[in-house]
Amino acid sequence: MFNNQLRWGLGLIGAIALTFTAAGCAGTPAGTGAPAESPAQTQPAGDLTTIGFVAVGPEGAWRKANEQNVQDTFTKEAGFDLKYAPAANLDQKSQIDAFTAFVDEGVDLILLSATEATGWEDSLQRAQEAEIPVILVDRGISPDDTSLYATRLAPNNVTVAKSIAEWLVANYPDGGEYITLEGPAGVGVVDERNQGFDEVISGAPQWKKVGAQTANWKVDEGKSVTETFLKSNPNIKFVFAQNDEMGLGASEAVTEAGKVVGADGVLIATIDGTKNAIQALADGKLSFVAEYNPLFGDQLLDAVKKALAGEKQEPYIEVISTTFDSPEAAKAALPDRKF
Amino acid sequence: MSLIVGIVAFVGFLVAGIVYKLYRSQWFWGIVAIILLLSANLIKDPGYLSITYSEATGRLVGNLVDILRWSAPIMLIAVGMVLVIATRGIDLSVGSSMVAGGAAAMQFLSVVKTPDSVSGAAIAVLLAILTGAAIGAINGLLVTYVGLQPFITTLVMMMAGRGIAKVITGGQNTAADSAPFKWLVNGTVLGFPVVILIALAIVTALALFVRRTAFGLVVESVGINPSASWMAGIRPNGILLTVYILSGVLAAIGGVFAVGSVMVVDISGTGYQSELDAILAVVVGGTSLAGGKFSIRGAVVGALLIATLDKTVLFLGISGAATPAFKAVVIVLLCLLQSQRVRNLFTQRRAAATADPAAAPKASVAA
Repeated sequence: MFNNQLRWGLGLIGAIALTFTAAGCAGTPAGTGAPAESPAQTQPAGDLTTIGFVAVGPEGAWRKANEQNVQDTFTKEAGFDLKYAPAANLDQKSQIDAFTAFVDEGVDLILLSATEATGWEDSLQRAQEAEIPVILVDRGISPDDTSLYATRLAPNNVTVAKSIAEWLVANYPDGGEYITLEGPAGVGVVDERNQGFDEVISGAPQWKKVGAQTANWKVDEGKSVTETFLKSNPNIKFVFAQNDEMGLGASEAVTEAGKVVGADGVLIATIDGTKNAIQALADGKLSFVAEYNPLFGDQLLDAVKKALAGEKQEPYIEVISTTFDSPEAAKAALPDRKF
Repeated sequence: MSLIVGIVAFVGFLVAGIVYKLYRSQWFWGIVAIILLLSANLIKDPGYLSITYSEATGRLVGNLVDILRWSAPIMLIAVGMVLVIATRGIDLSVGSSMVAGGAAAMQFLSVVKTPDSVSGAAIAVLLAILTGAAIGAINGLLVTYVGLQPFITTLVMMMAGRGIAKVITGGQNTAADSAPFKWLVNGTVLGFPVVILIALAIVTALALFVRRTAFGLVVESVGINPSASWMAGIRPNGILLTVYILSGVLAAIGGVFAVGSVMVVDISGTGYQSELDAILAVVVGGTSLAGGKFSIRGAVVGALLIATLDKTVLFLGISGAATPAFKAVVIVLLCLLQSQRVRNLFTQRRAAATADPAAAPKASVAA
């Protein structure tokens, strides 16, 4: 009897889990069918260029904006037939399946945002043998064998972090104490963002680092960490938050400590440029936001055209990211902020 | 001046604590650990314990206040968790209840856009509580009427809860403006943070309810021996359902604290791994994961310890990479001190020493 109960219960849980999964997918862009099926469903288009997009799928606001942007770029009107194949639960196996299906089908070009960096050699070789150019979108592969793909487009963490330090040193030459709110230890992005920032700030000894802590990309931890740092070092002039969320938390902590955000109190700079951060900058709750730009459809279109024409390209094309250094700039950008 | 007041208050608390037969309680070592951590901070900065009143912001300012504020959500989920664990269950979904509750509240506030309306904030809190209660009720129903393992049930809800939060906000980190809602978490009464007062009020009310009625007794009896309590006429289903719903509701209020403090819900961050904090707090507080006897006071001490630990790591400037290791060492030491076997080991050695007076006369005196 107990066994029966258990079985029934497991079934129920399965059903619930399914419902939630389905609900979770409902919000994502069109074409979320199983990756292996979607290439087969579409019929060969007349004079349209067929592009297979092996994508990451639902991951977060940044990815959503990025993949939506790619889909909006390669439309039928622009002469493309884009086949969007998001990974199932960030699973690499489903990506490889979709990739192989695209190769077998003989698409004209494949865009790849790999969920995992390793294990792509065989698939990429198959594409090469079939003479299908592959362009990496955002995510790189490892080992980074540049002969296997046409080019890679991505924003550069090092450059983005540099832009913050450059702004700080140029506008506030007096210097002071500063702290860094980092992402989780051991993540590549964290190292790159630290590296870029340190490269510039090491040339400006008037800015002294009095602490660095991980706040795990989280708002409330960003607040907690900043709050404590402000107790042990009341003279902090600048907070470098490696993502928007932690910066928003820092902003709350600064206000609560009775200080103002800005030149007369504590400056706060963040990376990413999500809508929330741009809004906060417009409201004077942040001082500087460096964008990590997900919207590089135009640059990607360029690279795709060159690859189709067989032109040789640089193995890495840096995506241009902008920065927002004033509430006015933020207000101007707000109305059509996509992510 | 404020430094002296702080130290005197602290020492007073310390002495009072010792006087009240602290040593016999399971959570004694938790208190010791808190004191040791605070001492470490005190060594780094002699002014660590000082609490001052800031004229500019009209609030009490100090590291102790920060610790108490940081402990508020942990305290709530730990107290909910202690009841669930007492019934031989476990609730892994508290972190997800936090984010789902927080998401419901923030989404509502961002849609209605009434930054000054008290009723708007009240509805937001109510929505959060309902969300938490719903998640708790699903847990409870699956555990009782379906007979699923609590671990599996709440594990599923842990994954589903964050999914629910994503659906509620459409995958965005929703930010909103609401002065009364923010006051609940960031406001002060006579300089004292509201969030601590609310947390203490809830915990006290719950403790009174549990211990002044038969509820605590039946919870323990279900945890100690379900069949015996069944034969004694206790039907566990209602009890289990109640504790899971309570846990969900408390977690959702914790979620309100977490999102209210920054007025944005962080879909992937809010409440992430909070269930581990809660379980740790419960264990540190001397409640066995095997169920049965439980201590709400112990869970509160555990929550305070975790908050102190979090803040100490920050204050001492321990590098981000070493933080988890540092925390782990403290917790392991604490568990060792609490372990009956380890304690027995010491008493046995001392007893052996006493039995052989020629070998160690001084040890026998110490014993």
